[in-house]
Amino acid sequence: MVNKRRILSILCILALLIGSLAGCGQSGEQAATDEGTVKDTLVVATSYDAKTLDPHTTNDIASSSVMAQIYENLLTLDDNNELVGQLAEKWEKLDDKTYKFYLKKGVKFHNGEEFKASDVKFSLLRALNKEGSAVKHVVGEIDPDQIKIEDDYTIVVGLKRPFSVFLTYITHIGGGVMLNEKAVTEAGDDYGMNPVGTGPYKFKSWVKGDNIVLERFDEHRNIKPKFKEIVLRAIPEATSRTIELESGGVDIAYNIVPTDVPRVDENPDLELLRKVNLSTQYLGFNCEKEPFNDVKVRKAIGLALSTKPMVESVFRGVGKPAMGPIGPGAKYFNKDLHIPERNIEEAKKLLEEAGYPEGFSTEVWTNDRKERIDMATIMQSQLKEIGIDLKIQVLEWSAYLEGLKNSRQSLYIVGWTMSAPDPDMGLYPLFHSSMKGSNNFSYFGDEEIDKMLEDGRILEDSAERQELYYTIQEKIVEKAPWVFLQNGEEVVGTRKNIKGFKPSPMGYHILYNAYIEE
Amino acid sequence: MHKYILRRIALLLPVLIGVTFVVFTMLHITPGDPARMALGEQAPQEAVDKLREEMGLNDPFFVQFGRYVYKGVFEQDLGRSYITKRPVSQEIMNVFPTTLKLSALSMVIAVILGIPFGIISAVKQYSTFDSIVLIFAMIGISMPVFWLGILMILLFSVKLGLLPSSGFYSVKHMILPSVVLGAQSVAIITRMTRSSMLEVIRQDFIRTVRAKGQRERKVIMRHALRNALIPVITVAGVQFGYLLGGAVLTEVIFSIPGVGRLMVESIKMRDYPIVQAGVLYIAVAFSFVNLMVDLLYAYVDPRIKAQYH
Repeated sequence: MVNKRRILSILCILALLIGSLAGCGQSGEQAATDEGTVKDTLVVATSYDAKTLDPHTTNDIASSSVMAQIYENLLTLDDNNELVGQLAEKWEKLDDKTYKFYLKKGVKFHNGEEFKASDVKFSLLRALNKEGSAVKHVVGEIDPDQIKIEDDYTIVVGLKRPFSVFLTYITHIGGGVMLNEKAVTEAGDDYGMNPVGTGPYKFKSWVKGDNIVLERFDEHRNIKPKFKEIVLRAIPEATSRTIELESGGVDIAYNIVPTDVPRVDENPDLELLRKVNLSTQYLGFNCEKEPFNDVKVRKAIGLALSTKPMVESVFRGVGKPAMGPIGPGAKYFNKDLHIPERNIEEAKKLLEEAGYPEGFSTEVWTNDRKERIDMATIMQSQLKEIGIDLKIQVLEWSAYLEGLKNSRQSLYIVGWTMSAPDPDMGLYPLFHSSMKGSNNFSYFGDEEIDKMLEDGRILEDSAERQELYYTIQEKIVEKAPWVFLQNGEEVVGTRKNIKGFKPSPMGYHILYNAYIEE
Repeated sequence: MHKYILRRIALLLPVLIGVTFVVFTMLHITPGDPARMALGEQAPQEAVDKLREEMGLNDPFFVQFGRYVYKGVFEQDLGRSYITKRPVSQEIMNVFPTTLKLSALSMVIAVILGIPFGIISAVKQYSTFDSIVLIFAMIGISMPVFWLGILMILLFSVKLGLLPSSGFYSVKHMILPSVVLGAQSVAIITRMTRSSMLEVIRQDFIRTVRAKGQRERKVIMRHALRNALIPVITVAGVQFGYLLGGAVLTEVIFSIPGVGRLMVESIKMRDYPIVQAGVLYIAVAFSFVNLMVDLLYAYVDPRIKAQYH
């Protein structure tokens, strides 16, 4: 009897414990919708949680993906990569270094404040200040002393030197977004968790590492999204993202990995959307280190590698084998470039001329991305044929980055994503000698190419500018600081009934045009 | 008894300082620059250098360590996250309830299943039931969590569509991760209970109790189990300590925002303050569970209680 009572009481306690544990759910439960009710929440699976929602302190895709719904810029790019006004009604170029912006009137921030020229000045100065270290490369050409407010809706921005791509640069989700001075000042250090913008969605809540909830901003001047809320769930495991999409747990899943592409493609309930993006994966040489300071060695390695089948097998048809330093999605992509044929004899001959008839031993660095390790493994076997003994060193990202910045690498595999489709963004930071160690991890420098890259930043869009960039791409192919591997692709899966969503080649997809087809 | 508890708590301080020192050293000798990770790969080097200076990362190692301990002990300030700029205690407390829920549920499953299975297996040694339990326990111990997790997701989420495959929002979401995480503990507790019971059942006093004509169930449940439970409690306690440390793999597979996942992300981002505080929290949780286990001993075994003074 006593025992029975004791067992019963233990069971009661357990039941209470489980009940209480299960009972304290957290936000994010919106993700689960009951059947039969009108679905007014869009659930999106992303691969990473945002780092912060302060646009000046980070420059990662996961954060930009959220910020693209909350914030707006003076200008933005349309589907054809043409500049269109977003918060600016119109703009003029006063001279080579000066631009005038006429702002839209009556634009409201999420906190009710009106958007004015003072906010523009505040935002640009903050991006130029120490808070803006992560976006310096975007706004660095602006002269802080040359930002002049003419009235509440007119502002003049001056540059340090002529810079023809300035307008494209300020479409960047980060350096170019417009903040509200009052909101930033009030939030202080916590601004990254309390963002205020003018975009179609406003920030509602954030469970770190799990989900961010955005709420429709009903006072937006012209965009009226169909979904009342958006839940962005961070699901780093690629397979889990696909499964959640298949089971209806999410409506849209970003970054469907090559191995899951057929599964999504063949599923009648799902839609697979693909868009070639602005990324290039490459094998870089440290051009300041022997033997890679010799262009013949670099070319020999390029000829010994058979990149096309390598990329096709590793990425399983996602993206395209790369032909040059920028991809086909970029403006002025040189269509005359081609992928060189593998030629072992020629490669051996070049190595001999360079003084390495027997080949040599070296090391290739990569981070722990599976595709990169796979490519390195294939390179290892292909380079054996010309006597090069390649060791693979897999590093964790932070250590990898530190090594690259300190010129410790010989060969390395990495990628670059342009944040706008102007060729300057895919060439200047990577090949100009002033950028060595910053993003030019090949430590490549060539006076002629430097000069052309500088000219490209001054010329307005024209046949002349196109010609210049065609030549730059040819010269870079000729000097071979990289072996070009792959131009990436945005692969997004959606449920069949989600319409109006288009992936962006920049990787931060706009969600406010999505709706459900009843 | 109170003295004993106070002594145990006092002993915690050197343990925590030791743990902090080890983690601090390991973080500082690992390549990778927190300032660079915080600002992103495109930030200019001078900005990174300036931030390093502000973070105090250029000071000598022992100065940094001393400052950290001083602030932690005298100002109860464990610093702010380099990335989110929020106090680390807040960052840890945000994810702690999730980890607590997950580990408590797994533990409940492990105890509810493990102890009865172990008892029945021991009492019916070499029976079919015993063999089945042993086989399952073997599978449970050898099956890696991530593998079991993926298999369960494939079966219950993809094939049958019964349970969600990620998140931790409702009871339905909690079933798979708790079972997956608890599987190993079930196996360990089952085997421990079984072997411990077998040992006790063979002892003289059990024969005496039986000779006195006690009912078999009473012999097992009252006399044998009480003695057999001591090693089981130890094992269960250690298991719970591990689980509280954030079941990293389970949290990653099921996308659960717990302490384990926060730590992994923070290590990747070189967010030193969060990693430090996270390890401290795990050390405290572990010590706390150990203390609880020792106190439970006293409750279960009067001989041990007599030693506490």
